Amino acid sequence: MGRNLKLENLTKRFGNLVAVDRVNLEIEEGEFICFLGPSGCGKTTVLRMITGFETVTEGNVIFDGKVINDLIPQKREFGIVFQSYALFPNMTVEHNIAFGLKVRRMPKKAIAERVDQMLDLVGLRDWRRLYPAQLSGGQQQRVALVRALAPNPQVLLLDEPLSALDAKIRVRLRAEIKRLQQELKKTMIYVTHDQEEALSIADKVVVMETGQFRQVGRPIDIYKYPASSFVADFVGTSNFFKGLRTHDRVQTEKREFKISQMGASSKEEVYLAIRPEKIEVFKYGDPTGHLESTNLIPGRIDVVTFLGAAVRLVVNMDGEEVISDVIEKEFEQRQLKQGEEVALYFPPESFIIYPAKEKA
Amino acid sequence: MNRADPLEKASLPSTLVSDRLLTWTAMGFLLAVLIFFMLYPVYDICKLSFYKEGVLTLKNYASYFSNPRMFRSLTNSLYVSIVTMVITTVLAFFFAYGLTRTTIRGKGLFYTISTFPLIAPSIIQGLALILLFGRNGLVTRYVLHTDWNIYGATGIIAAECLYCFPNALFILYTTLSAVDTRLDEAAQSLGASALKTFYKVTLPSAKYGIASAAALSFNLTITDFGVPVVIGGNYSVLATEIYQQVIGMQRFDLGATISVILLIPSVAAFLLNYYLTKKSYALISGQARPFLQPSRPLKKWAFTFYCWIPCIFILIVFITVFLGSFVKTWPYDFSLTFRHYNFPSLGGYAPIWTNFWASILKGEWQSILAYKYAPIWNSLWVSILVAIGGASLTLLAGYIIEKKKPMGEQILYTLSVLPAAIPGTVMGLGYILAFNKPYFFIYGTFWIIIINIIICNFTLGVLSSIANLKQIDKSIEEAAVSLGANPITTFTRVVFPLTRTAFFSNMAFFFMRAMTTISAVIFLISAKVKLAAIEIIFLDIDGRTASANAMCTIIILLVIGMLVAMRLITGRGGLKGMGAS
Repeated sequence: MGRNLKLENLTKRFGNLVAVDRVNLEIEEGEFICFLGPSGCGKTTVLRMITGFETVTEGNVIFDGKVINDLIPQKREFGIVFQSYALFPNMTVEHNIAFGLKVRRMPKKAIAERVDQMLDLVGLRDWRRLYPAQLSGGQQQRVALVRALAPNPQVLLLDEPLSALDAKIRVRLRAEIKRLQQELKKTMIYVTHDQEEALSIADKVVVMETGQFRQVGRPIDIYKYPASSFVADFVGTSNFFKGLRTHDRVQTEKREFKISQMGASSKEEVYLAIRPEKIEVFKYGDPTGHLESTNLIPGRIDVVTFLGAAVRLVVNMDGEEVISDVIEKEFEQRQLKQGEEVALYFPPESFIIYPAKEKA
Repeated sequence: MNRADPLEKASLPSTLVSDRLLTWTAMGFLLAVLIFFMLYPVYDICKLSFYKEGVLTLKNYASYFSNPRMFRSLTNSLYVSIVTMVITTVLAFFFAYGLTRTTIRGKGLFYTISTFPLIAPSIIQGLALILLFGRNGLVTRYVLHTDWNIYGATGIIAAECLYCFPNALFILYTTLSAVDTRLDEAAQSLGASALKTFYKVTLPSAKYGIASAAALSFNLTITDFGVPVVIGGNYSVLATEIYQQVIGMQRFDLGATISVILLIPSVAAFLLNYYLTKKSYALISGQARPFLQPSRPLKKWAFTFYCWIPCIFILIVFITVFLGSFVKTWPYDFSLTFRHYNFPSLGGYAPIWTNFWASILKGEWQSILAYKYAPIWNSLWVSILVAIGGASLTLLAGYIIEKKKPMGEQILYTLSVLPAAIPGTVMGLGYILAFNKPYFFIYGTFWIIIINIIICNFTLGVLSSIANLKQIDKSIEEAAVSLGANPITTFTRVVFPLTRTAFFSNMAFFFMRAMTTISAVIFLISAKVKLAAIEIIFLDIDGRTASANAMCTIIILLVIGMLVAMRLITGRGGLKGMGAS
């Protein structure tokens, strides 16, 4: 069995404010975990309790079978990558990387070898004698990454490492981190508020809201089967309808939808969620006879946003706005454009149903 | 990836010192120093003033207030301080306005000249005014042929105005350059006249800065000792009265009583200043300020003329004292001479220095360098130690307050900023009362002077350390810790290098204060331990004005030399290579 990291009823309170509320998680060695949530949800606080920079109010952080709540940060030997890079501005790239090795009193030769190895890992050999201020943001964060990896930490924690970078570099560095993780098979815990980043990088995503874990799972499961309307809303985009459900019908304010899951015969208040790419868009009058007619609803295209491979449409259905993503090819073929009268089709099996009381 | 072998073996030293333990130790040490060397002496003064023959009584206060001659020192002090406060604040405000709100030329020059009074003992203004307007003043006797002279309240006020000017200016300059000038522009675009804009917008938006500059000027004047002692004549103020009672008449009880009386306005002014500074900074808007629109020619001309006035006065002060140290007999014989730099025998002795020069020189040079220049060497030596000790202690205190924030950090902060509220003369007397005891072995040595100067100037040192440490990202320290560095390595290898420039400028500040301070240490010098700044007063009292000028000039040159050296060190050493590409 590997050296697992376990959170057990972990809680953090600042005065009356509960920042983290009894969270439980088991992270296996070599796993790439991502904490995802809006700002202020407590994800960074969880991370800081793991690193030891924040004290634990209740519960335990357990590593390799031992409770490490009171272990000082130095002794945990966890590497950290900060959002602000936090490189030592008074040291060159190589001295930054060597810092963690020097404090461990490694022999000089071994340090030099390890530094070379680390520089090669991120292709920064030529930059070794420069100071952080002379590097671009992306280069600085690469240095910060290998600086944290140099002492061979047991776990690498990354706190919004890419938030300060511009979009293009962010995507490239994201891929690089993923590659490093697969190569080094190091346990990594990654905190971000960017759902796209979380879904693309991690083996397992933890969605957090108001100090609690809302859902833990593989990225694809989180996206396809959001456990709550919060997750459905926060991860990706969803359209929501509030209504009353009887059997396989949901009566909303303006219309009725057929759904594929059978419910109770008594009326129950629910939310229906549907992803924009699940909604099909037809030009008004095009043949749609083979489709379930209840879920076929007329509307008008209000806004067209070109996203690259897909086109996002905002469709007005009798005052209700619905977002629908159509792949670019279909958009062309069906000759859709702004102001066009269309018919939207909501496949019954694509709805996800949540009890209404949980959504605030 | 292959795991390098040594990596597996390399582990952190098992003796990692707990961060918390170190923080508490350092904080305990600082608290002990501040309590013992600041609160305890003040406590002793209060105790002495309220006790007579072991009984709690107000007798001392009764005898102070019933003696009209002594009581006058209080009204005198208040009078000169209030007048100085008003004049300085008004002068400095328009000066600051010219530097921040107009497009006059030579702003850098004006600013630099206006800071000159900071590098010299406050006494220099007094010396210069006496040379110009004294009984044998160049102006009074030879230009105007009048019997009027400047001794007394007029002289004190004139000298204190020059001394307080840079201090008030600094606050007003910061205030006016921070307040959003777009407010002025908006008012004018709405049709308000220039004068109305000034009264309705500019002045109110700078009100806290103005009040804070006024409070500071008041505090500096009421606590100053150097100026009234040389130019006050028979006009006694609280600070000189304390010295008079203690050193002149050995009336420690009355000295303590007057000290407590002096403490009240000075602490009040300090608290007011502290409170207003906070308010004033809260008003500062972080928004970018638009380009200053060019001032009209008349405005430019008027402000240029105006700004030259205080600058010329300041320059005259320095030139007068400088010249006064080189001419044979001011103002009768203006032929140049070095004679005044051969100080009368001061009976000085300085460790190392005296022995060194005595061993390699003979005759007159031996007596000049080895003995007569001993106070200068002492001052230099004390100043270097104060610079190192003061800058280190205040950095440590700032680091604990700003970065470590342990429990009770607020107490440390309060004690750290308190010294600025306590007048130097009070602190000096407190040291005599508290530490003039046989078992207190450092009393009467250099060490008590060094400690006293560090404590008296602790406030500014700590505040500037805190301001500087605020700029270091918290995660830089955490990065070092997460890489396994212990608290000491983190401090020495990461935090200290990043605050080095600020550390050096703090050193410069402490050095400057140690070279020029008079009020507190005048109680602590002894026949064995003499300091250059204090010698200025004794030379002046002895009627050797020219030599007092010479001593003053030497101090100024040493301070300038140190500032140049600091510039060279930080310029070269700073954060090497940073920013260069």
